[in-house]
Amino acid sequence: MRLSPLDRKLLRDLKRLRTQAVAVAGVLACGVALFVMATGMYDSLERARDAYYDSARMADLAVSVVRAPDPVAEELALLPGVNALEARVSGIGLLDLAGKSDPVSARLVSLPPDRRPRVNDVLLREGRWPNPARDNEVLINEAFAEANALAPGMQLRALIYGRYRVLEITGIASSPEFISAVAPGALLPEPERFGVIWMGREALGRAFDVDGAFNDVVLRLAPGANARDTIAAIDARLARYGGRGAYGRDRMLSAQFLADELASLRTMAAILPPIFMLVAVFLLNVSLSRLVATERSNIGLLKSFGYSNAAVAFHYGKFALAFGLLGAAVGVVTGRLIGNYMAILYAKVYRIPALQFDAELHIYVWAVVVALVAAVLGAAQAVRRATQLPPAAALAPPAPTSFGRLGATVERAARNLDGKTRMVVRRIARFPRRAATTVTGIALGLALLITSQHFPLSMNHIVDVTFGVAQRMDATLTFAETADDQILTEVARLPGVFSVEPMRAAEVIFTAGSRQRRDTLMGLPENAYLFRVLDQKMMPVAMRGDGVTLSYNLAQKLGVTVGDTVHMQATEGQRASADLLVIAVVKPYLAGAAYMELNALGRTLREPGRVNAAYVLFDSARREALDRRIKELPMISGVSFLDSASASMRKLLSQGSGFFSYMFIVFSCLMAGGVAFSAARVTFAEQERDLATLRVLGFGRREVSYVLLAEIGALLIIALPLGAVLGAALSRWLMTQFQTDLFTFPFITDSAAYGKSALFVVLAVVGAALAVRRGVDRLDMVGVLKSRD
Amino acid sequence: MTAAPPPVFRLENLRKTYGEGEAAVHALRGVNLTVEEGELLVLLGPSGSGKSTLLNILGGLDRPTAGHTYFRDLDLATAPDAEVTRYRRLNVGFVFQFYNLIASLTAAENVELVTEIAENPMPAREALALVGLAARTHHFPAQLSGGEQQRVAIARAIAKRPTVLLCDEPTGALDVATGVHVLKAIVTANERLRTTTLVITHNADIARIGDRVVRFADGTIRSVEKNPQRISPDELRW
Repeated sequence: MRLSPLDRKLLRDLKRLRTQAVAVAGVLACGVALFVMATGMYDSLERARDAYYDSARMADLAVSVVRAPDPVAEELALLPGVNALEARVSGIGLLDLAGKSDPVSARLVSLPPDRRPRVNDVLLREGRWPNPARDNEVLINEAFAEANALAPGMQLRALIYGRYRVLEITGIASSPEFISAVAPGALLPEPERFGVIWMGREALGRAFDVDGAFNDVVLRLAPGANARDTIAAIDARLARYGGRGAYGRDRMLSAQFLADELASLRTMAAILPPIFMLVAVFLLNVSLSRLVATERSNIGLLKSFGYSNAAVAFHYGKFALAFGLLGAAVGVVTGRLIGNYMAILYAKVYRIPALQFDAELHIYVWAVVVALVAAVLGAAQAVRRATQLPPAAALAPPAPTSFGRLGATVERAARNLDGKTRMVVRRIARFPRRAATTVTGIALGLALLITSQHFPLSMNHIVDVTFGVAQRMDATLTFAETADDQILTEVARLPGVFSVEPMRAAEVIFTAGSRQRRDTLMGLPENAYLFRVLDQKMMPVAMRGDGVTLSYNLAQKLGVTVGDTVHMQATEGQRASADLLVIAVVKPYLAGAAYMELNALGRTLREPGRVNAAYVLFDSARREALDRRIKELPMISGVSFLDSASASMRKLLSQGSGFFSYMFIVFSCLMAGGVAFSAARVTFAEQERDLATLRVLGFGRREVSYVLLAEIGALLIIALPLGAVLGAALSRWLMTQFQTDLFTFPFITDSAAYGKSALFVVLAVVGAALAVRRGVDRLDMVGVLKSRD
Repeated sequence: MTAAPPPVFRLENLRKTYGEGEAAVHALRGVNLTVEEGELLVLLGPSGSGKSTLLNILGGLDRPTAGHTYFRDLDLATAPDAEVTRYRRLNVGFVFQFYNLIASLTAAENVELVTEIAENPMPAREALALVGLAARTHHFPAQLSGGEQQRVAIARAIAKRPTVLLCDEPTGALDVATGVHVLKAIVTANERLRTTTLVITHNADIARIGDRVVRFADGTIRSVEKNPQRISPDELRW
């Protein structure tokens, strides 16, 4: 195929403009890559999750019950809306792991004796299924096995319902129910300290003393079933057996963690790529305007030969398309590579089978279309100018660029400047839109970097506040059952313990108007010291008995505020209900609930003097003695030490954030550097003649370089404070966008975040400007002066 | 009798070749010439005869392939870059066919650009007055006619009181009347400041304003003629 002369011209011009093309396409590619990565990862993770949920029959609803006879399960399975149901035995046990002095706890879940679970299936990853005939064989979950170096064939010592048993691990398994396994009362998974153990239904029933009965139901809804109706039917049926109220996936922590991750990916895909696209549009506009200006006489010639406006427009439009295609191609490939890497990270954290980066075709098509549209938008103005140029005007030499005087004040100030600096100032004032593009691009690059620096700050602050200011206990002891507060005396007698504070927690259903929300209602002493609820100013909120204090998230969901009344229905025990006045709304960083003064809560629940957990301070020198004693106490089902919880949380929050911050630095520097390079290239191209003239007049290379670099330097100086302000605003806004049910990200700032980001941006801009500056060394004094323009 | 002052330029067997092998273009093929202090020399010749190449070498914009170019004692052919830049800064005034004014600076500022870095410059206004533009000092290039722009370029070139003024087709882009104005400005500078001046042209008529006329053809000097009498640009007709 023979290329038309115009296309051959296009190819040669593209070759000539290749560095410019790389800068524009680079910025465009960043946007495309982020889009492909975030959207593709969102789709892949959602698809893998849904496939996993489907294939392993993840429960839609769950309910725990004190003890219901087995035949009730068959009745439940027949209720309308129920598709499949598994009645199980489940409970918490303490483990004594070899080589680990701190006690570890686990959720024990029964496996049906003769078949796989109908709901919340278990996937065997290693080893074999337990033999139903042997009641000490168990499976353990993958994350727990990995964190504690446990393997099939090893044994565990478990304290279940007051009795020690030796369990034999036959296999390692995973389940959609426990993608993140969270201990009761804890907020985050701690695989080192909390695991899941599956064992035979009969053996576990005997262990928990619920032989011939069940205490836990998980079920899947039939397609089109109304969850609310089914919940009501189940609750009615289980009421007399101590049913604690059925709930959906929104109260299953593991499902919620995953939903949170998906939400933040979606937020990222929606916010970041458009910023890059916008900058690329401006860059293209600047580059192509310059191209059309230099092509003036060629446009005149083409038109005088009889080429139509459309042909000329198409010719220059092809430049934009070429830039766009290059950006899209690089972006798609980069996005895929980053996506693949992220999928590996996700697979490590979530252990979802078949999780790999697999963006669908439509994502790539969209990425390319968006890149091309961005390119065409950027080129539109320049192309229109090309077609509007009458041939005669295009062929005539261009009039010198007209430089009016600046405002009187600026001119007065300019009088004190030397000629070279005056050139710089007048050029910036003469092309304000271009200067604004450069400033905006550099500022946005800086803003993105600053934002990326703010997330770790926020996360560290959450950990510092949660485990330093709010929670000040050394350990939390969770009781196997709601206990009489006499137990606190026993706790106080544990070795090394010198301070004990009680806590009562109840699962309740709040109702306000038509809105309903299941959540935890916590009772704490009036002036709690070890576990404090903090307000926005970090001041402790005193627990009161005359009403309920709600977390901000919960108040939002219920649509209530201070002074409103909410209806509370307990799901367990006496199943008390009451109307409570909302007396305060607090905004904790981590999954907030509702709070009341401990004794008032006891009265409200019609169960005074009961507690669920105790916060303790102990002498760290006696930790081992305390550990040993706790392992012997059947009343304690779980222990969480503040130091290890804090470490796990830091680990969880920083997972993958190292990679993200690296990616942000690269992308933001590419943006700032690309913008600076384009701006400096255009300035150089436009001023080549002036710069050569200066050289001829006797100015040295350094002086001539000054004229070129001072412009980009001045714009950089304007961009830095602007970028800092933008960065602060963007960070603040993004923190609210990434807020979920579990996390509220506070906007915490630190001058180092700005300083470090500014340093990166300055380096990128200086690097780009110096690359262009090399042109000064190669200025063709003779050639430039011989040509007209 | 006093000794004659040393020549400003002394060229010895100057050669300039562009390219190599069969594609080589010999722009200068062994030029020998001496230019005296205060002289107005006109270089005449057709396009491609080598006169612009010679002017570029004299101005320190280009270097010869062989031979020597002495500006007084400085050999421009071998002097280091910084030395040549300094030579341009202190001694050379350039005037080009296409003016080469800085569009973002006014007439006065274009001149000041040079006076800022010169050692003994004249005030920008005085330089502009010398070329008849005292009234246009605050205009930007875009607000001036072609002839006026060229006169600003001449003012810029002479404001530093250069030792030599090098003019490459200064009237090439101008009509006759405007061209005469420009040539008058050049002659004025040469007469009042005693600036050694070299003017390139392919217009034989203009040659009559110089002290000597050097005719170029094919990279060599064909003849050097002394004009019996310099005529004023006003008397030129072409």
